[in-house]
Amino acid sequence: MKVIDFLRRLVGLRSSKEVEAASSASLEEKYGSTWYMLLHSKEGFIGILLISVFLGWSILEGMLQLAGLLLGRPSIGWLLLPHDPLAPPNPAASLLPPSSRYPLGTNFNGQDILSRLLYAAPLDALAAIVVVSSALTIGALLGMTAGYFGGWIDEVLMRLTDAFLAFPAIILAIAISMMLGNGFNSLLISLSAVWWPTYARLFRGETLTIKYRGFVEISKLSGISDLRILFKHIFMNALDPALAFLALDFGGVILTYSSLAFLGIGIQPPYPEWGSMASNSLNFFPGAWWYTFFPSLAILMVVIGFVLVGDSLQEQLLGTMV
Amino acid sequence: MLQTNLITFLIRRSLNAAITIFLLLFVTFTLIHVILPTPEAMAKIYVGDAHYTPSELQSIIVLYGLNKPLYVQFVSYVESIFRGTIMDPIYGAPVMSLVEKFLPITFELVVVVISVEVTIGVLLGGLAALNRGKALDWGIKALYLMAWAAPIFLWATLMQFFFAYDLKILPAMNVANPILVPPKPITGYPLIDAAIEGDWVYFRSVLKHMILPVVTLAMLGFGGTTRLTRSSTLRVMDKDYVKLAYMKGMSNGQVFKGTVLRNSVIPIITMTALHFGYAIGGAVIAEEIFLYKGMGFFMNQAIMNLDLPVVMTTTLLIGISIAIANLVADILYAVVDPRVRVR
Repeated sequence: MKVIDFLRRLVGLRSSKEVEAASSASLEEKYGSTWYMLLHSKEGFIGILLISVFLGWSILEGMLQLAGLLLGRPSIGWLLLPHDPLAPPNPAASLLPPSSRYPLGTNFNGQDILSRLLYAAPLDALAAIVVVSSALTIGALLGMTAGYFGGWIDEVLMRLTDAFLAFPAIILAIAISMMLGNGFNSLLISLSAVWWPTYARLFRGETLTIKYRGFVEISKLSGISDLRILFKHIFMNALDPALAFLALDFGGVILTYSSLAFLGIGIQPPYPEWGSMASNSLNFFPGAWWYTFFPSLAILMVVIGFVLVGDSLQEQLLGTMV
Repeated sequence: MLQTNLITFLIRRSLNAAITIFLLLFVTFTLIHVILPTPEAMAKIYVGDAHYTPSELQSIIVLYGLNKPLYVQFVSYVESIFRGTIMDPIYGAPVMSLVEKFLPITFELVVVVISVEVTIGVLLGGLAALNRGKALDWGIKALYLMAWAAPIFLWATLMQFFFAYDLKILPAMNVANPILVPPKPITGYPLIDAAIEGDWVYFRSVLKHMILPVVTLAMLGFGGTTRLTRSSTLRVMDKDYVKLAYMKGMSNGQVFKGTVLRNSVIPIITMTALHFGYAIGGAVIAEEIFLYKGMGFFMNQAIMNLDLPVVMTTTLLIGISIAIANLVADILYAVVDPRVRVR
């Protein structure tokens, strides 16, 4: 419980008594209690822990890599890693099992798998953040416009959303990134281009329920502009269910991203990526089981973190039934 | 009155589906032209070879009509999709003739996946709801969260290793035993063709080869159905008519089958239509690992060959088939629940 209290103070929460004392559910208090509930439920706590480790490491390692890039000395990027993740092929160390020197073993090129896993984390985190936030932005804009103005605008935007929803995200992303040329940036663009329809649906539905509520009607009568109402009232209130979905969705992006890397789309070698590490390892499976196992485990742990948080958020924000 | 309601509902939904399909064509066409804005850039995709002369490029622009106005190109694009005349530069055959061969194999796989997924999902979801808060409920939750969070290639590789290479009880790859002569393609669906021609050896072989890919893909999706069944079952369980059923002395199973399931079936239908898309997306990866030579495998080959016409056409066709699956779900919906027809 001490750890939880510490974590709660870390994110600037009030004590549980204060939360309980607050009877009215203003937005701030609601989030306060959401955080409280999240950290007190077992699954939410494990999830938060996994995500914090992943994001914390990604930020640290990402800064180092950025510094290395800016100073023209890439070796800064592996300052904290046990070995050089991009070391030139070393046949003598090829496919060594886990040992004290190589905690998770080595790959075919004799590179340390632990170092490569840690080195690849920041770009996975970056991909998830960029894709989810751009999907949220596009989806919120289109969905709220459709829901708020209704009529033919709604009809056109929703048919377009349906059209995009009809493509499995992974397949459309493959097609787009193929046309853009293979690489990290084009993968981000193509994933963002296919990821928004679910958010558009979600925000439209929320907007439809919110727009007839009293405070929106009153704002309209007092002559507040549509844009302001959309942002201040509708967006802020629609954010709740979106947030619960968002956490689950982070996991979805990471899974899709690594599945695409598995097919050879996205970051190109020699740069490590969890999905492509798993894919390269298949030729040596099951003899070199560590080569497949640890990259897959890394993906599994991170996605479980997001799924746990998303799951308990949905239970709290939308009621236990969901 | 009811009848006319149903008919207007069906007409409206079909119209919606038609508009969606038109937009699908429009979206793919726009995407191609936004990313490849000039005729030259388009032509380079069709050349299929890095070494080309400017005159070759020009001849391809003329051949495919790439310098015509965009609306003319759009009309000819739609026409070529529906008449199946888009040529593939790498195979030297119309894309449609290739797709016709591979698409049924994936559809068959996906239909089996969906039925397995829904069966498992409904059973586990019902069990979890009836044992709410007990160990079984938590166990089922842990199971589907794990299945959800694991990358599909992890399940695929692990199962291939244990059941095919280690225990040697299931085949590791292919649609059927390559020694067997496949039946003449009548419908293109291996199981149906084998059944029509009475080739039960081949039928069994196809079934056996299907097990691993089906289990892998079902892992990906049964969690959603489980969760949904659990939550909608719990919602229905509070209703008076369920309490009445219990008071009449019916058992858990009887109540679940007779009262609860019927009322929670509607969201499950929507979910299933959605899963159709996920399963096809997952099949792209599963087919690569199990060398299951369907649409996904074919698409992977096309990606490796940078064969854009095949990738775009398959993407479009998959989109169209999912739009149709959604329409079917809507119609089923209206048949199951008359209330839907009104809105």
